Amino acid sequence: MMFFAPWFAVAGILAVGIPIAIHLLNRRRYKTIEWAAMQFLLAAMKKNRRRLRFEQWLLLAVRCLVIGLMGLALARPTGCDSTSLARLAGRSASLHVIVLDNSYSMAYESERPNAKTNLDQAKKVAKRLIEQMSAGGDSVMLITAAKPAAAVLAEPTYDLSAASAAIDRVPQSASGTDLAAALDLARRTAETHSEQPVKFLDLLSDSTASAWRGDDAAALEQLGPKLAAAYRIRHFNLSVPGATNAAVLDVWPTTNLVRTRFANDFAASAKAFGASVESSLLWTLGGESLPGGSALTLDANTPQQTQSNAQIRTGGPTVLTAKLSAEDRLPIDNVRQRTLDVAAEMKILIVEGRRGATELDGSGAFLELALSPPKLSGDAGAASDSYIKAERISDIELGGKSLGDYRAVLFADVAQIAPAIADALAIYVKQGGTLVWFTGGQVQRDSYNAALVPRGLLPGPLTQRQSGPGYTFAFNPSGNNDPLLAAFANLEKSGLDTAQSFTYWQVSPKAETKSHAVLKYQASGDPAVTLQSLGDGRVVFFASSADAEWNDFPAKPAYVALMHEILAGTVAGSERWMNLDVGQRLQLPPAYKLTGTPSLRDPATNVDTPLQQANRPDGTLVYESAILDHPGVFTLSGRNGSVPISVNPPAAEADIRPVSDDAIRQALGNAAVEFEGADLPDISAVADTGRDFGWSLMTIVLTLLGVECFLAMRFGHHKKT
Amino acid sequence: MAESLADYRRYLDPRTLAKISSLELRARLIVEGVMTGGHRSPYQGVSVEFAQHRPYTAGDDIRHVDWKVLARADKVYLKQYQQETNLQLILVVDASESMGFGSVTVDGGVWTKYDHATALAASLSYLAVHQADSVGLAIFDQQLSRYFKPSSAPTQWKLVASELQQVPKWNKTGIGRVLDQIAEKVTHRSVIALLTDAFDDLETIKKGMRHLRYKKHEVIVMQILDPQEIEFPFEDVTLFKGLEEAGQLITEPRALREGYLEQFRLFNEGLKKLCRGMNIDLRQFNTAEPLDVSLSQFLADRSAATR
Repeated sequence: MMFFAPWFAVAGILAVGIPIAIHLLNRRRYKTIEWAAMQFLLAAMKKNRRRLRFEQWLLLAVRCLVIGLMGLALARPTGCDSTSLARLAGRSASLHVIVLDNSYSMAYESERPNAKTNLDQAKKVAKRLIEQMSAGGDSVMLITAAKPAAAVLAEPTYDLSAASAAIDRVPQSASGTDLAAALDLARRTAETHSEQPVKFLDLLSDSTASAWRGDDAAALEQLGPKLAAAYRIRHFNLSVPGATNAAVLDVWPTTNLVRTRFANDFAASAKAFGASVESSLLWTLGGESLPGGSALTLDANTPQQTQSNAQIRTGGPTVLTAKLSAEDRLPIDNVRQRTLDVAAEMKILIVEGRRGATELDGSGAFLELALSPPKLSGDAGAASDSYIKAERISDIELGGKSLGDYRAVLFADVAQIAPAIADALAIYVKQGGTLVWFTGGQVQRDSYNAALVPRGLLPGPLTQRQSGPGYTFAFNPSGNNDPLLAAFANLEKSGLDTAQSFTYWQVSPKAETKSHAVLKYQASGDPAVTLQSLGDGRVVFFASSADAEWNDFPAKPAYVALMHEILAGTVAGSERWMNLDVGQRLQLPPAYKLTGTPSLRDPATNVDTPLQQANRPDGTLVYESAILDHPGVFTLSGRNGSVPISVNPPAAEADIRPVSDDAIRQALGNAAVEFEGADLPDISAVADTGRDFGWSLMTIVLTLLGVECFLAMRFGHHKKT
Repeated sequence: MAESLADYRRYLDPRTLAKISSLELRARLIVEGVMTGGHRSPYQGVSVEFAQHRPYTAGDDIRHVDWKVLARADKVYLKQYQQETNLQLILVVDASESMGFGSVTVDGGVWTKYDHATALAASLSYLAVHQADSVGLAIFDQQLSRYFKPSSAPTQWKLVASELQQVPKWNKTGIGRVLDQIAEKVTHRSVIALLTDAFDDLETIKKGMRHLRYKKHEVIVMQILDPQEIEFPFEDVTLFKGLEEAGQLITEPRALREGYLEQFRLFNEGLKKLCRGMNIDLRQFNTAEPLDVSLSQFLADRSAATR
């Protein structure tokens, strides 16, 4: 037995003393009259003594009962067990929070009677729950769990038909599950309506692992006990035994940069969950089919499929698609697109500290030669065959350059860095640029430490110059090397292990920069090449020079390869913002050049919707779209040409295999959860636990008040007015 | 003496006396003393003096029609007489403690049942004296405390009024015994008017009345009651302290009202039955009602009843 307002019950019990006190006070407070006709009074008293006493006690008892029951009624006792009395006298009065999972896995076509998908069945179950509620007594709150989780009804409503209609309106989402956010909404609802002692939290989901064991596992574990303290939690498992879903989980280029004139490799992850599925994977790039399409037996352990040596003739954004040939009961995830920003002419800036009289005298000359080698004599057209277009300038010219035009800026033995330049570089890196430092004899430690270290543009302060007979890189071709060095794996005689540095700047990395050493010197263990992230960009630090001043590396074959790999591995794939999951917003990078107001065309409706400006957390003003709620290739316009934007359903939802009830309980921090199936519940017995006896008690109180009035009149205990 | 006269005159409201002065107090039974016309006398030779004529009205006794006038003028007139009588009225006034109860206020003072009884007695004695009847007075509580023999002397009324004005000792009631004593004292057949609340044992009252009736007296019981005794209008819890050592009771009067009124009704019915059985005229007087109205009504009723 619980009470909505227990203090009323206490007050009622205490107030029972009031009629008794009044009775006793009345016995002590009286008028005195000298009376002549005493003989009649005494005779009347003698005759009626027992009746009077009985009437007095009866009236006193009724009055005490009225006040006591009034307190109990106002306290609204609830939660009696399932008894016939409870059914007769109790009126259900509970808060029911229904969390309806409408993520895309709920679109699984389970073909139940009158319910094509799991969501349809969930809606039927939810409506049945509402049908069992007591009109005017129970209130309903409806929360959808698809990302972003939302309260369909802003506040709990007593209008059960409105709640039922709201359930009908819940759309099938193509996004993932945001169960933690949905349950947090339920928690806040419980806090807001703490006066309701009886609360039910009904979770209707297909129990997928993505919902219960995803990124929000820690949040769910924390929420569980709080929810269990506020609610009686019931989980309705809408999954279907033996359900199978095949899906393309991801498709991606195997290198950081997709480049023209290079052979590009792509990979795709296609799996089947449940039983194995026979299908084939169909590839298209830019609307043209790629080789492949052989039959596959997909299961949960199917390895990734590759598409090798794809040649791309033109640069710019294009769409890579991987699609399963077989249809299944959850078709939304059978195809996956990825927008690739094919690098055809990647501009980089090489800033020299030492200029030379000839082509190869500058401190960045070897860099330019390695990254953007000149065409062989006799070739017509472009100056270089490389997808990289390098521009070499002196440090004096740097102030006049717009850094946003370059994908990477490389400094080679620049003596000093002015604070203004350092500020511009910090912004450039944070917005996604790549910054590469090479040292040399001109580098002034104090200037670097003062300008770059505070801005996070170096892994740490330069400490001292180390010179010696020759420091080699700690590199083992068959060892466990940094991913940036993957191209050198098992390559003998690449020169990376034999190159020697005679001088280098020793750097003391700071923990907060989270930099890591890509290469170290064999003898000293000092970092030779470090990599760190700053904002959306990367910073690479070479401890030695870019030319032959301090090392013999430029003469090694590995020099060219390492420079390309470092650049390809660190230059941000500019297409990241072009690939989104359902439930996200398209947000244009601040550096994205526009010629007009950008708009986004929905492939489902072919309607262009202008993007709106919004503030990012760092204060930058950017263009962004509304939440993209279905998959497809959207089209962004706003400058010369259009950009395909790939929107895919979240891959984690594809695994429709349900987790066990115990797993759900554990996911909720071992909170008390009752588990129900997907069948329409017969919950009449369950509903009894939320019955509110206040209404019945109030009826009894009113009846007793009538009885009291009648008795008082009948017994002559009422005052004439 | 002048002050005393003024005091008893307050009982004799001029309005009251004006109304009853034209009425006759008639004995229902034949009493000693003769009244021509009005009272049938057992004795002959009593002088009768013509007073006036008045027009006949329906219901008048045709024996008083003046036939001569009818023969001469063809109009029906009645002859009325101013006559002497030897009717003897004994006023027996209860001065027990219960008669000291009163809830009616007059001019800021309490109007007790005793006040009402004395006013009634004074009025009747005034009337009787002005009809040349003899008036006697008996005041009693447990026993007969004062007794004045009947007299028709003009000063008798003043004596009666003066005695009624004396504050009683407020003792218990003993109506039956007192009636016995009066029966022994009064030798002439008289009209005995008992002014009391009659709050006594009915059996003893009956016994005393039977004695009076045995002595051939006509008995009139004028029961004086306070409105609170009649209605019992109390609501809040009250401690009732009984007068005449009747004990006390704390109770919620609203609950007991019905029972009280039932007991009160039973007593009065018993009293009525007792009086009816002995041919005794019983009349209740409510101290809240105007004295002149109730007295004139009483006399009119008696007048009609004796025709």
